[in-house]
Amino acid sequence: MIETVNLTKIYNQGKKQQVEAVTDVNLTVESGKITALVGPSGCGKTTLMSMIGQLLTPTKGKVLFDKEDVTSYSDGWKAVFRRKNMGFVFQHINLLPNLNALENVMTPLICHDVDPRDYKGAALELLDQLGLSERAYFNVEQLSGGQQQRVAVARALITEPKIIVADEPLTFVDEASAKTITDFFVKLRNDGRTILISTHATNLAKLADKTYLVTDGKVIDSY
Amino acid sequence: MGRSKNLLNYALNCIQRYKLRTIVILICLVVASSTFSAVAFLSDGLVKEGALSLKYAPDLTVQGIQAGRQTLIPTNYVNYILGVAPGIAGVSERIWGYGNVGNTLIVIVGIDVNNSATLNQTRPQLGSIITADQAAAYPLESGHFIDSQTNDTVVLGKGVAELLGASIGSELSILTESNQVKQYTVVGIFNSESGIYNADMILMNLNAAREFFNIPNDKVTDLMVYVAPTDANTKNVLVNDVARQITGLSNVRVLTKDVLLSAQEKTYGDKSGFFSIVWYVILIAVAIIAFNQTVVVGHESKFEVGLLKSLGFSTSDVIQVRLVESLVLGTLAGAIGLTVGILFDGVLGAPVLRDFMLGWANLYPSFQLPFFISPQTILFTFAVTIIPLLFATVIPSWLNATVDPDIAMRGARA
Repeated sequence: MIETVNLTKIYNQGKKQQVEAVTDVNLTVESGKITALVGPSGCGKTTLMSMIGQLLTPTKGKVLFDKEDVTSYSDGWKAVFRRKNMGFVFQHINLLPNLNALENVMTPLICHDVDPRDYKGAALELLDQLGLSERAYFNVEQLSGGQQQRVAVARALITEPKIIVADEPLTFVDEASAKTITDFFVKLRNDGRTILISTHATNLAKLADKTYLVTDGKVIDSY
Repeated sequence: MGRSKNLLNYALNCIQRYKLRTIVILICLVVASSTFSAVAFLSDGLVKEGALSLKYAPDLTVQGIQAGRQTLIPTNYVNYILGVAPGIAGVSERIWGYGNVGNTLIVIVGIDVNNSATLNQTRPQLGSIITADQAAAYPLESGHFIDSQTNDTVVLGKGVAELLGASIGSELSILTESNQVKQYTVVGIFNSESGIYNADMILMNLNAAREFFNIPNDKVTDLMVYVAPTDANTKNVLVNDVARQITGLSNVRVLTKDVLLSAQEKTYGDKSGFFSIVWYVILIAVAIIAFNQTVVVGHESKFEVGLLKSLGFSTSDVIQVRLVESLVLGTLAGAIGLTVGILFDGVLGAPVLRDFMLGWANLYPSFQLPFFISPQTILFTFAVTIIPLLFATVIPSWLNATVDPDIAMRGARA
């Protein structure tokens, strides 16, 4: 279970361009459930997701994983934590150019003490489940936005993380890809994975076990 | 172990992926390292050859000096020098200078072949040692050495022989400083091992050279002082003692082997110094280009660092990857640069560079150019290809890796 306590992020603190992106957010992400953050563009969802995913240091507040406050832990500790426990799907997809789909999926394995070649079958299986078996050896720049996002989903899952953090995973995705990804998240939830999603998409939000409405960096409602 | 291997493979993969950056950096570093190594190998070789040529040189060379410039030295100094210390084996007279054969400047040297008048009479057995040293200093490829009896025979350096198309028995006509055409018979040719110091030389006996340069009978250009052979330390003390006493004479200067060697080192060092400046300019250009490339791919690199960290890479993993990239690129560039430097000097004969490095003379047609591959030069070449690259790539990556991954990725997109 993940909890946030008064989580706050202020960019450019003390400068003219100071922006309070997230303010005193308290929320809970239950294990084995889908939790959705819903809100308009620019409301602070991505910043909130990044802080929960240990990709961004909060200005104030805490992030607790299974009651353990990890906010003040070292950069190295957080890297190992992400490596062992988390998989990310980004709004901007963020694949490595000049690598093919399969190589991108296998990238997270590089920092694990394993031989990535042993996971080639698993990577191909994930791509197959996401409908990309015939695109495995295509350079990612040759793929459509939807196909690229499906590669990113496969990449987030190759290390079998307990927690999946997906920031607007359907933003640049065609309808068919959106359905594939949505179905996949349901399957992952059913397999017991913890999923945190930020989204505009109502069909994805409807799947959530818990939804938080975010506006101007604050959680204004939950259901 | 598996993780380190994965990171190594990823680093090598990055070199392939960033092709443009790799090619630009490689070209720049190869130009810089090959320029440096070609100059350094040649400079080292010349200094080394200089040291070898001094092996059979006299222990001291005494020259006349007036108003700070070299002048002729009276031969009556010989007897004084012989009496300075019992350890002096002998003093040999020498006349040397420059002459023109056609448009080519050559060195003309006259030596007292038998040392007949100048041996230390109290230790006559040492005369053979001096004669042997002189013969060793002028090794012949063919023919025989000059003698003291004939004033019209010469031994040619290989370069002169090739320039003039001369061989043993050839007749040479050379304009002397008295503006008279003098006829000489070639009796010997130096071998190629004697290198640059004999390549442009015409050797004749002392009287012939005196006649050629129109030098009075009681003067020579320098006196070569030989100290009796003994152990190195004793000899060193003796040489310094003799040098000190001779320096006390008016209007003379004394050159020890060490002084001559350091003069050679300075000469070639200064010349290679000129190229070092060129090389530094190139290196600065390389650093700018490398930095520019880092900035050009900086966004890409920044994004990659942020992404890798979000996928679980630690800061040290990222630095390790960039470190390997830089080491591989720098080592590759250094190795190619050294190879180009060796081929440039050894196979192509260092075009342009040789004319500059070899100095005033312009006669170096075909002898083997001396170049020496010193471990220091190799190490230095690798150091200068690797270290700037480490600074240009590892430091920015480290800076990117120490910020939050989210900030790094957002910054790259901005």
